[in-house]
Amino acid sequence: MLAETVSRLFAEVESDQLQPTIDEMGLAGLMLSEGQGGAGCGWEELFEVLEPAGQYAAAVPLGENILASQLLGKAGNFSLSPYVEGSLQEGKFSGEVRNIPWGRAVDTVVAQAATGDVFSLDTSAAHCRENHNLADEPRDTLIFDRQAIGPLESADLLQYCALMRSVQMAGALEGALQLTAAYTLERHQFGRAIGKFQAVQQQLAVFAVEVAAVSCAVRAACRAATRGDAAFQIGAAKLRANTAVEIASRTAHQVHGAIGFTREHQLRQFTQRLWSWRTEYGNDRYWSEFLGRRVIERGAEHFWSDLTARDDRVAG
Amino acid sequence: MPTFSFQPVDLPPGIPAFRQQIRQFLQREMPDTSPENKSNCWGVADLAFSRKLGQQGYIGMTWPKAFGGGERSAIERYILLEELLAAGAPVGAHWIADRQSGPAILKYGTAEQQQKYLPAITRGELYCCIGMSEPGAGSDLASVRTRGEQLADGRWKLNGQKLWTTFAQHCDLMIALVRTTPVDANNRHAGLSQFLIDLKHTPGITIRPIEDMVGGNHFNEVFFDDAIVEPDALFGVEGEGWQQCTSELSLERSGPERYLSSLALYLELLRAAGSDAESTVVQALGSIATQLWTLRQMSLSVAGQLVDGQDPTLEAACVKDLGNALEQGIPHLVQRIVSSELFLEDQSDLARTLALLLQTSPSFSLRGGTREILRGIIARGLGLR
Repeated sequence: MLAETVSRLFAEVESDQLQPTIDEMGLAGLMLSEGQGGAGCGWEELFEVLEPAGQYAAAVPLGENILASQLLGKAGNFSLSPYVEGSLQEGKFSGEVRNIPWGRAVDTVVAQAATGDVFSLDTSAAHCRENHNLADEPRDTLIFDRQAIGPLESADLLQYCALMRSVQMAGALEGALQLTAAYTLERHQFGRAIGKFQAVQQQLAVFAVEVAAVSCAVRAACRAATRGDAAFQIGAAKLRANTAVEIASRTAHQVHGAIGFTREHQLRQFTQRLWSWRTEYGNDRYWSEFLGRRVIERGAEHFWSDLTARDDRVAG
Repeated sequence: MPTFSFQPVDLPPGIPAFRQQIRQFLQREMPDTSPENKSNCWGVADLAFSRKLGQQGYIGMTWPKAFGGGERSAIERYILLEELLAAGAPVGAHWIADRQSGPAILKYGTAEQQQKYLPAITRGELYCCIGMSEPGAGSDLASVRTRGEQLADGRWKLNGQKLWTTFAQHCDLMIALVRTTPVDANNRHAGLSQFLIDLKHTPGITIRPIEDMVGGNHFNEVFFDDAIVEPDALFGVEGEGWQQCTSELSLERSGPERYLSSLALYLELLRAAGSDAESTVVQALGSIATQLWTLRQMSLSVAGQLVDGQDPTLEAACVKDLGNALEQGIPHLVQRIVSSELFLEDQSDLARTLALLLQTSPSFSLRGGTREILRGIIARGLGLR
């Protein structure tokens, strides 16, 4: 239901009208409690909303809006970033908050210092160094000088952002798969649709299995995040999404041939995002070390029982 | 909408207690075995252990009580299987009977056939094998040439050869796919029938072992030379063997045995890694943990869909393809990153498990539907075929 509504939104609304429409619909309040005027939803509903955003390559910080709103306890066009360099003294922050999605366009950003403190910053007095990722999505650095902070409840912003991005990656992978599968039936060579060649079919099957794995992993991580500590599942979901990027982008471009390589073609909307997102909020090395250290610490005797206990806890 | 459906499953209450019960049983009853024998453990037969599982109610646990079953849920059975496999228990003797022969008999068998075979299977005393492959019929099953000819008295005379029959030497019963009407070039799948063949008491049957490259003997070839079986050996409907056979195959693609065959090696790598492990090893451990976790979520999701009465044929093919790739990838990854001082002929648990899995893992993407067949099924799901 939710997924269909937002899918229609991404399919039908002009890109420059997308953010105003999102603001108007109050989508940012998805994860606020009903008492705060929100929809009281959890990560599973966030999946329903953000997966289509990825599948339609929507150029809006919807996930950032929703998560920052939840952290701030009010809905709005806000952003967040776990990448902070600077110092906190007497309730004032001096330094840089980096790689903020749409940092130039938001009036408040939620950040997390190396100490773990989570706080909000009013951006009106900040200096903005604009930048963007491979897909032209704004990734700005805001520079603050003794800016008063709004302390917030503790949270792990890197994990928040990693799960948010994983959901979008699941969507973008699905978008790239569907685009590619459709293209193999349109494009004819040697007198038939290229999708009728076994060599192409087998490549597409491998691609589809990767997409299925990411979708399943990310859904499972969202369910876990709604129910409590999900550090393992979030790390695993992001890592699984990261590793799928290689097969997915390689296959999608191979099958599309030269046309998929043009600026005009839609394919790059997915692949450029996926290449950027693989790095954002923990690349493969980061999460595989994070997870590897956890399993080493627990030891071989606990590996299987830990793996099953994560789902058994829900059964109670 | 996603191309494939993998909704996470919520395990029902009572699962943790049941899992505990299984672990206690294994602690008590599982024979001591080396890590190498814990790998690919559904390829390891131990008849005495299968009987213990039967006594415990751990074979045919979802089947009707009238046939010795436990009428437990399919999710509970899933939990049992993953616990047996994760522990490396030798479950090969009864695995096929529990997974597919029994369910097929429940679905297509007559009341007499059900009464004759199912209770003995649940006791862990009657073992089954699959009679599909032949010298000229591997992935292309419709080309089986073993022939069944009905005699004037209603009995059937079988002639031909089955190949790669796992554990035929231990088995009492084979469900064989046999051509009973000459091949029709326009419908190659017609004219095939299934038979329940008593391997221990039918004259005209010869079972010969085939040694695999590790020196193991699970493969066999089974010859039928004017082997005569009774009319009631016909299984299901004459001429519908193909449909029966393929529905049997779809039961066996998404279980935990499709991704856990190399778990024992992963655990050895983990055991060998200390807090000072090199980054390459740490990353490999994290990466494999991620893949195991993901596959477990996928495999469980398919189990949930089966319980809900959906048809997850495509999803099951995804699980098997990805699971086999993981099982096969683990030994190569471990070989790539372990100490250069480790040699395959060493006697350490890690070396022995690695050596065995390097040699047995090529079979993982052959048994139960080859990688190419699975990917063809998935491509069909994508609308390409």
